[in-house]
Amino acid sequence: MTKRLRSASLMVSLGLLAATAIPHPAQASDLAIPPIQYHQRTLPNGLQVLSVEDHASPNVAVQVWYHVGSKDDPQGRSGFAHLFEHLMFKSTKHMHAEQMDRLTEDVGGANNASTGDDVTNYFEIVPGNHLQTLLWAEAERLSNLNVDEKNFTSERAVVEEEYRQSVLANPYGKLFNAIDPKSYTVHPYQRPVIGSIEDLEAASLQNVIDFHRTFYRPDNATLIVAGDFDPRQLDAWVDQYFGWIPRPATPIPQVTAKEPVRKQDKRYTVTSETAPLPAVAMTWLIPPASDSADRIPLQVAAALLSQGDSSRLYQSLVYRHQVAQEIGAFADTRVGPGLFTVYAVLASGHEPAQAEKLLNEEIVWLATQPIADAELDKVKTQLLTSELKQRQTAQGIAFALGQASLIDGNVQHVNDDLAALQKVSANDVHRVLQKYVTSAKKVTIDYLPQAKAAPDTAKGAAK
Amino acid sequence: MSRANHFRLAVFTAIALTTGIAAATDFPATPPAPGPAPQLNVPTPTAQTLPNGLEVISVRRANLPLVTAQLWVRRGGEMDPPRLAGLADLTANLLSKGAAGRSAPQIAAAAEALGGSLDASAGWDESAIGITVTTPKLPQALGLLAEVVRQPDFAETEVQRARSQAIDDLRLQLSQPTALAALAANRGVFGEGAYGHSRHGTPDSLKRITRADVQRLHDALYRPDNAILILAGDITPAQALQLAQASFGDWAKPATPLPPRPAGSAASQLPPILLIDQHGAGQAGVVAAHAAPPRRDDSYYVGSVANAVLGGSYSARLNEEIRIKRGLSYGAGSRLQGLGDGGVWLASAQTKNPSAPQVVELMLGQFKQLGDSRVDADELAARKATLIGAYGRSLETTAGLAGEVAELAIYGVPLDSIGKYVTEVQAVTPKQIEKYARKHLAADDLHVVVVGDAAQFGAAIRKDHPQAVLLQSTALDLDSPSLQAPAGR
Repeated sequence: MTKRLRSASLMVSLGLLAATAIPHPAQASDLAIPPIQYHQRTLPNGLQVLSVEDHASPNVAVQVWYHVGSKDDPQGRSGFAHLFEHLMFKSTKHMHAEQMDRLTEDVGGANNASTGDDVTNYFEIVPGNHLQTLLWAEAERLSNLNVDEKNFTSERAVVEEEYRQSVLANPYGKLFNAIDPKSYTVHPYQRPVIGSIEDLEAASLQNVIDFHRTFYRPDNATLIVAGDFDPRQLDAWVDQYFGWIPRPATPIPQVTAKEPVRKQDKRYTVTSETAPLPAVAMTWLIPPASDSADRIPLQVAAALLSQGDSSRLYQSLVYRHQVAQEIGAFADTRVGPGLFTVYAVLASGHEPAQAEKLLNEEIVWLATQPIADAELDKVKTQLLTSELKQRQTAQGIAFALGQASLIDGNVQHVNDDLAALQKVSANDVHRVLQKYVTSAKKVTIDYLPQAKAAPDTAKGAAK
Repeated sequence: MSRANHFRLAVFTAIALTTGIAAATDFPATPPAPGPAPQLNVPTPTAQTLPNGLEVISVRRANLPLVTAQLWVRRGGEMDPPRLAGLADLTANLLSKGAAGRSAPQIAAAAEALGGSLDASAGWDESAIGITVTTPKLPQALGLLAEVVRQPDFAETEVQRARSQAIDDLRLQLSQPTALAALAANRGVFGEGAYGHSRHGTPDSLKRITRADVQRLHDALYRPDNAILILAGDITPAQALQLAQASFGDWAKPATPLPPRPAGSAASQLPPILLIDQHGAGQAGVVAAHAAPPRRDDSYYVGSVANAVLGGSYSARLNEEIRIKRGLSYGAGSRLQGLGDGGVWLASAQTKNPSAPQVVELMLGQFKQLGDSRVDADELAARKATLIGAYGRSLETTAGLAGEVAELAIYGVPLDSIGKYVTEVQAVTPKQIEKYARKHLAADDLHVVVVGDAAQFGAAIRKDHPQAVLLQSTALDLDSPSLQAPAGR
């Protein structure tokens, strides 16, 4: 039901899926996972096209990924890239508002889109016989967007409700929304994807027109098609509908900010009126996703710490010491500098400091002490199984390709990282944790429930 | 890679194969028409029974080496005794927390070494535990599944741990306005019946649950003649039977009869419109609920299509009116859940606090309109397509396939109806929907609950609905059918 997700969360989960890259042949299992047989080409206007033919179902996934995200929000317009994503479902020269829904949902398909720090992706799944229609529609909104004031205003109100739902009404929304602003000092990653109500209110229709002209161009996009189609037919349709779109002469603006190495540990407190239990989160800076030699061991480290009930943080904080209700660790890698993030939501009667101490102990232990082969094998098998689950659907295959191409820096990662993951050793895990975590500076956020003062005395007796 | 088991129809011809780049003037102003529709291939489940009464249902989807294995037992939260809300769910959760000589951490490590995890929960009419693994790991996974289902320890320390985790989970869940509103609306629909309480328990009920309660429920429900093993994915019926026999063949069935199923619904003590003040809430959760026919009812497909029109997808009426036209919410929708003895229609949306009165009126209006006027043919065709498409996609994963098959088995619906879904949905007429709505969605039988910062909407709602009752979230007694503690307490 929730669609057009803002999806900082989706992007995080995609990051985790990338961690699921599986080597071939997989030693952690008796299985050989066949590589994804993708086809790649680039049109003269710069549009990258990736495709995978797969007739497992009668459906085809069509995705367009743009190299634009919240890092590219205009000055004073935090949340704009995401607001813009919503407006791509409004009118174009040849489509009325919501016609994308007519072309997908109404024929048995579905559509959605998400905005992350680095990319914005639009994705549809439709019965294979509607492929041509969807290619036309995606080319249309890339080249002919035409939003009016009325649609702009009403969709902005939707995005503001999305902000309230994900940040204000979600008990831990304010914590996760604070991670980027507190973790980056210079890089525009410090802006939360969802932005702020004030900046959204300040956005104008002219901003929409300018943003589309600046970033929505064939040389800044990747079209991905996976599922039930004929490759020769696909190429012809892509040429027909996308080929004519001109490549602008102007350069694509690039973020050049460099996030400096942290000089000291920092600590912040965020309060919540609705969270029932406190939480604590810690972050460290890690290299870009394209540095796969370090990214993949960091992903393995995160899985050792937090994937499943047998993981180290779960066993220590949730099971043995019972100080936490929930734990997490992830290597949130991006096109630019990423974050290694760990967090715990406390169990009743416990304080953030208790969880923080145990989180640090487990990280140091993992970074310095021997790791049993069986435990490494376990993590590799978990990641292999997750990868296979993702590859059950055309949409899942398409997402894997987009992640590899746009975030990890090269589509080949979708297959190559499988072999790299298989080779990750205990020494690799030690090396990256020592380099980026235990010997580096961290940002810590304490998240504390703080009831809003009652404005009247009508409040019922607390039970 | 998967072998193509279905052929795309020949929509491609030489005409489109001329390569070369088109000009802007060639870009068509209207979308190209689709080619002939492809066929949905739905695998047929196979049901077999072991001598001890265990039903074994397998369904094959062999394009990837994956299998989902789930052990289901009939009965779930409906069996929670009075004052012990959450017992069935807690019992399911505790299965994997120590069994057959292995501790909880050892079981988690074993399951995760196989690449999966043991996930357990109780619904109203069923309890289930399952795991998805690659095909070579399946025999070991089934061995583990059998241990935790048949020989759980329910050690005192684990019961305590699970209880405090469940209480914290519940606190988290109830801090979200729509979750609390849905819980209260459910109580409105089912009253003191077996489906009326909080299936995940209440802070008070969870504290009362003892190890003996858990053991008693396990003894009563977890028995082969009350269980169904579902195997979906890369597996044949012969393999399914052999693996089931190896892990569950010597599971003895007790001589005692199965406990009777309690009545799902009974009189409700809640007012038709209930407002719950959750001080400082960032948004208001608006929920409207109706009683619905049981899952096995003949009206199932008509109800499903009616729900698809009302709120089953992005383009359905509730989201159209509340989000798309007015920008009042990030998403509004509805679901229809048919159960063993009754069912529920539940519509929900989260909105900024001051908009709650408007969202209530829009929701009521949409329920009413379904019985007042006939659904237009184009709208109906579109929503049927959405419903059928989503159904087909839900069967693309082994876990989705297992879930669909399990629902049929639990509610005693013939397994071959999985292949008849498309035809049944297509056959539903506008007249049937109108009739259904008049019968099941009458305004005088609706339960509306709004949870949020009531200072911002309470007065406005009470102006239109003087009968609306306002409660404080901090003063709710979730164990009570009236949600209020007895007077004098």
